[in-house]
Amino acid sequence: MEKKFIKGCEAIAEAAVRGGCRFFAGYPITPQNEIPEYLSWRLPEVGGAFVQGESEVASVNMVYGAASTGTRAMTSSSGPGISLKAEGISYLAAAQLPALIVNISRGGPGLGSIQPAQSDYLQATKALGHGGFHAMVFAPATLQEAVDLTYNAFEYAERDRGPVMILMDGCLGAIMEEVELPPMKEVTKEGTSSWNLSREGCPNRPPRCVTPILPELALENLNRMKGNLYKKWQEEDVKVEHFMLDDAEFVVVAYGIAARVAKEAVIELRAKGVKIGMIRPITIYPFPRKSLSELDYNKVKAIIDIEMTIPAQMRDDIELPVQGRCPVYEYGRSGGVLLDDDGVYQAIEKIVKECD
Amino acid sequence: MKKSFIFSGSGGQGIMSAGIMLAHTAIDMHKHSTYLPEYGPEQRGGSAKCTVVISDDEIVSPLPKKCDNLIVMNEQAYKKHQSCLKAGGLLLINSSLVKAENVRTDVKVIAADVDDIALELGNVKAANIILIGILIGATGIVSKDIFAQSLEEKFKNKKPEILQLNMAALERGIEIGKKHAK
Repeated sequence: MEKKFIKGCEAIAEAAVRGGCRFFAGYPITPQNEIPEYLSWRLPEVGGAFVQGESEVASVNMVYGAASTGTRAMTSSSGPGISLKAEGISYLAAAQLPALIVNISRGGPGLGSIQPAQSDYLQATKALGHGGFHAMVFAPATLQEAVDLTYNAFEYAERDRGPVMILMDGCLGAIMEEVELPPMKEVTKEGTSSWNLSREGCPNRPPRCVTPILPELALENLNRMKGNLYKKWQEEDVKVEHFMLDDAEFVVVAYGIAARVAKEAVIELRAKGVKIGMIRPITIYPFPRKSLSELDYNKVKAIIDIEMTIPAQMRDDIELPVQGRCPVYEYGRSGGVLLDDDGVYQAIEKIVKECD
Repeated sequence: MKKSFIFSGSGGQGIMSAGIMLAHTAIDMHKHSTYLPEYGPEQRGGSAKCTVVISDDEIVSPLPKKCDNLIVMNEQAYKKHQSCLKAGGLLLINSSLVKAENVRTDVKVIAADVDDIALELGNVKAANIILIGILIGATGIVSKDIFAQSLEEKFKNKKPEILQLNMAALERGIEIGKKHAK
């Protein structure tokens, strides 16, 4: 394995290339510019193509085009740009085209701030575009995890034929850490025939069709299939880290950068004898509902939702499996103000004291 | 052992490269390290800050509120970040640009005219390397030799004078730092 001290955005870009990505189209926006910058020289090295599109809308539609040739294709942006790409992402979902979408999120709403924030949870998990579809959303907390999840993202996208998202805040996008880079995958277009339009033409086979518009019964069937797929994700594809939960009376729920800051506080509070643990969703869609529904509520006194956004956006997903069996508290910073160790520790300690 | 550093100043003063080089040297010494830059939309002249954490163990949170070592390259950074230093921490001041009034009494202070010294050596751009030299001399946080190797690596494609300047800056910094070592 090759070790490298690398920036978050570049780690994702390199992992995507090693995972088989051969096409990127995107439009600049802070704090994700290092992804296109890196891929602009890296993709040509491996025979891939890089395009800086004239807009977000054009870029996501280029990804649509590239994906329908069986090529592993991706785009990246930050909140405002993801909003502009929403239409194209919905079309990808309708046409059942695999693609990787990366959101390195910043303060919002609106043009917001170029500083980091976890402000796009609801957009990513509930409505990446119109029409009521979901994408699997991975939310790494370390750069190693970002590399590993990105490296395998296309397998999920192709298995389920749809867009997959990596959601990471601008702080992890800019941070540098050491990672182990996996080897380059040998990716062929074998197995892509149901959506790959680029091959030999169709004199001796039925024509293939990729379309975002379907007649009503076919559209209903597609939606039914997608509905079943989301149930299957909930059963089989949830990724979650449980930390010190066994005897926990207080359970922190946090993902991404917030989970790293919160974990530091959990360790410190444990050292002081507080029975506290943490649930860290790695897939935020499908959300790890079971982790919360199966907690022992005879022991658990409170759930604490820590996010780098105000108000907390994950709260509904937490409250659904908790079913009112204990109170849910939240703490966050937003608008580009970062969470920090002291602030999160004090907020959790205050809640613990209130409940005891 | 876990130590945190905040480098602060304005864009163009080499704040980010100082942070990256320090973190990179720690990685080369098989320690764990994170480097987090924070800056506004400006390329030059805006406020620049980076946080480096160096640890023997895996780093859980890369966002400490208060640091063990604060390096301030200009007056604005001094005023803005002085409160981010832990009691008993090290405050390293570029006294060429920082008046440093009302310095905290619960921290150790090293003030050096690093811009003037860098100019004397040949180029003000080497001021950040003098600061790293002072840190190495005063705290021994990373190995001088391994940092010197990273300088060689960084400047290998530039004119040899640039490497010489930076090496001289490193030496001068270490000299100053050693005078303040515990």
